[in-house]
Amino acid sequence: MKEIIKFGFILMLVTLIGAGSLSWVNNITKPRILEQEKKALDLSLSIVLSGTENGIIIPVDNRDQSVYYEGYRDKDKKEFIGYALPVVATGYSSKIRAVVGFDSTGRILAINVLSQKETPGLGTKCEEIRKGESTPWFQAQFAGMDAATIAVDKDGGTIESITGATITSRAITDAVRDSVTNFLNRIRKRN
Amino acid sequence: MSVWKEFSKGIAKSNPVFRLMLGLCPVLAVSNSVENAIGMGSAATFVLLGSNSVISIIRKLVPEKIRIPIFITIIATFVTIVELTMAAFAPALHKSLGIFIPLIVVNCIILGRAEAFASKNSLFLSILDGLGMGIGFTLALITIATFREILGNGSWLGITVFCQNFQPALLMILAPGAFLTIGFLMGFFNWIENRKNNLRG
Repeated sequence: MKEIIKFGFILMLVTLIGAGSLSWVNNITKPRILEQEKKALDLSLSIVLSGTENGIIIPVDNRDQSVYYEGYRDKDKKEFIGYALPVVATGYSSKIRAVVGFDSTGRILAINVLSQKETPGLGTKCEEIRKGESTPWFQAQFAGMDAATIAVDKDGGTIESITGATITSRAITDAVRDSVTNFLNRIRKRN
Repeated sequence: MSVWKEFSKGIAKSNPVFRLMLGLCPVLAVSNSVENAIGMGSAATFVLLGSNSVISIIRKLVPEKIRIPIFITIIATFVTIVELTMAAFAPALHKSLGIFIPLIVVNCIILGRAEAFASKNSLFLSILDGLGMGIGFTLALITIATFREILGNGSWLGITVFCQNFQPALLMILAPGAFLTIGFLMGFFNWIENRKNNLRG
């Protein structure tokens, strides 16, 4: 009986020290991690809304507590380039976070994958940049397409899916299509 | 065992993948390209060094009957700390290695070496063991990945090896290809070992 109490106490001590150090490290790293995420988002926004280098990208509060962005070529908000919408796709083994830039007609300007934890070597190819190129080939396909009609080749569309990563490819494509379409429907209803 | 032997056993004689048969799950998943193999191997070696060190330091304080839950708690805590620190201070490294870190918690090599060696040996020897096992793990991963990437993707480390017309065997970069490659390699190494033993008589 005494041994069980002693062991229970030691285990409690170990988990206390473990939880304590984790909590401490979490507090130290949290602000920096948030900073890194904001940097990544800003970079992503400038990629999907190219043309805003000398202009401005402003966050707008969607009524459902999410945020979307409007990009302007100039700082006075006279020349509207398009919207940027954060998108979350349910991938094969993780939530894939991306940002899609599109104009008011629903034509995609570009997409940029922010984060994913898909299968290394397969789903992760959604961020793979081929030799000699500067953008991930999978994401580059979306530029110029009409968001309402995109689909992966296996579903009759024109987006070439990643070999061995159909689910990842389809998740990103469908999420982009549905998010943009729903967003534009809501905007049009409001106006 | 001599100091050198403690380090080198993990590379060939007691290779964690081909001889000890530990950590096969992540090996199957991450050996589809040489780049992933190097990433996973590096991350695992780093964690192995850390966990072997910590467990060796506290080995005299841990009651034998509850050692496994204590080891697991320490390993999981350590891995999470590594991941958080990487995410905050080395975002580029975190982007490339980040996916492997959570996979390492369930890597049997870490718990296996903690239980079989670090809990019973000095800090210095435990560090050597961790290094050797980690390097052995990385080399095993690279070997398997070489076969899988060349046959399944026509490349090595991303550099195209064959001409344009080469049709890669998709099977090789998926799970069955991993099983096949590991099976053949294991058989091959066993055959070499048998021959060595027969020659010795």
